[in-house]
Amino acid sequence: MSSESSRHARFNELVENYGTDLYRYAMWICGNDALAKDLVQETYLRAWKALDKLNDIGAAKSWLITILRREYARTFERKVPKFTDVETVVITEDSELEPDDRTEIELLRQSIMELAPKYREPLLLQVVLGHSCQEISEQLGISKSAVMTQLFRAREKLKSQLRKDGVTGNVHELF
Amino acid sequence: MSMNFSEFIRQLGAEPRSQDPQFLRARQSSPEFLQASADADAFEEKLNRAMSLSEPENMKKGLLEISLAPIQTVTKPGWQSMAMAAGLLVVIGAAGIGWNMNRGWDSVEEYLADHYGHDGPGLVAQAGENTNKDIGRFFSRFDVEATPELANIVSIIKFCPTPDGKGIHMVLNTSEGPVSLIYMPDTEVTDQELIVFGDMRALMVKLETGSAVIIGSESQSISTLYPLIQESIIPVLRNV
Repeated sequence: MSSESSRHARFNELVENYGTDLYRYAMWICGNDALAKDLVQETYLRAWKALDKLNDIGAAKSWLITILRREYARTFERKVPKFTDVETVVITEDSELEPDDRTEIELLRQSIMELAPKYREPLLLQVVLGHSCQEISEQLGISKSAVMTQLFRAREKLKSQLRKDGVTGNVHELF
Repeated sequence: MSMNFSEFIRQLGAEPRSQDPQFLRARQSSPEFLQASADADAFEEKLNRAMSLSEPENMKKGLLEISLAPIQTVTKPGWQSMAMAAGLLVVIGAAGIGWNMNRGWDSVEEYLADHYGHDGPGLVAQAGENTNKDIGRFFSRFDVEATPELANIVSIIKFCPTPDGKGIHMVLNTSEGPVSLIYMPDTEVTDQELIVFGDMRALMVKLETGSAVIIGSESQSISTLYPLIQESIIPVLRNV
């Protein structure tokens, strides 16, 4: 295989393996479908140009997330619009859910969008991208202990909000 | 050493899928731990469902096309070189255009033939009703805004590459059918210069901030759009 076709194959692998996850992550950090698509497109554009710098394919996911986060920061370096309209989110088919469950999921989505970024982002990295606490710590440049605290608090805030909205569930307050 | 309940709850809330042996043992260690585990598992299921999003249609296809586009170090596909060599591109107007190239295009003609050739006809074909996208968001990225006269006729809008970085590619609904407009925030052009490529024509518009190019077919009077475009993309600060 020529180096050019090998390059194409590597890039295609990145798209196939991580494209959907990156879109989901982008969608949850910016809350806007069009912007999320643009962020993902820009991320892969930059990844394609810098592909030769990716030595370890095992680190590709974190590498792509780093590019996306930088691009997101760059996008909003001058202006920070606030998108919290979860109706713009393209949601998977929920029709099989009971009405009460659907309501609960909708409330949860709203609560996720309303979480402060310091809580939402580690949660996204963990739930959407499957990162471990150690990987989140490296990605965000904070200690593993801080990551664990933020993840714990993020979940407690979500549970607490659900309870406030009348949805039952056990909340374990420790902090 | 076994975990106390407080440590267990903290771990459960921070990393519920942890495979740490001590944590896994603790999950089963007493009815209290078992109940907390069951509550956490139920919550995780809801959380996962809530955070699931459908992949946009054709997103991956679009991303895969990135590797086919000629950007910087990428070798251009043969068809483009052949098209250029075949003289499909005709330039009207001898004056040079001030381009500070940094994206791999050596001239405005090459950029238009390349970028528009890649994206333009497909977008024009998709043009329909006016878009419901937040047009202001696209323009605010470059510290400019579109007046309602322009915003109200945009059918398709997306970010795109330009010779000097990012810009905006639009398709406008006009009385003569869909016309393409590319906003290039960091590119200088010779005002009202006309470039013909293939059966398309492109009219340069010098703006207060950056430039724009109106692209239409030979049968469309793109020059009639010139005053509208020149007046419709304005710096945000002008209105402050």
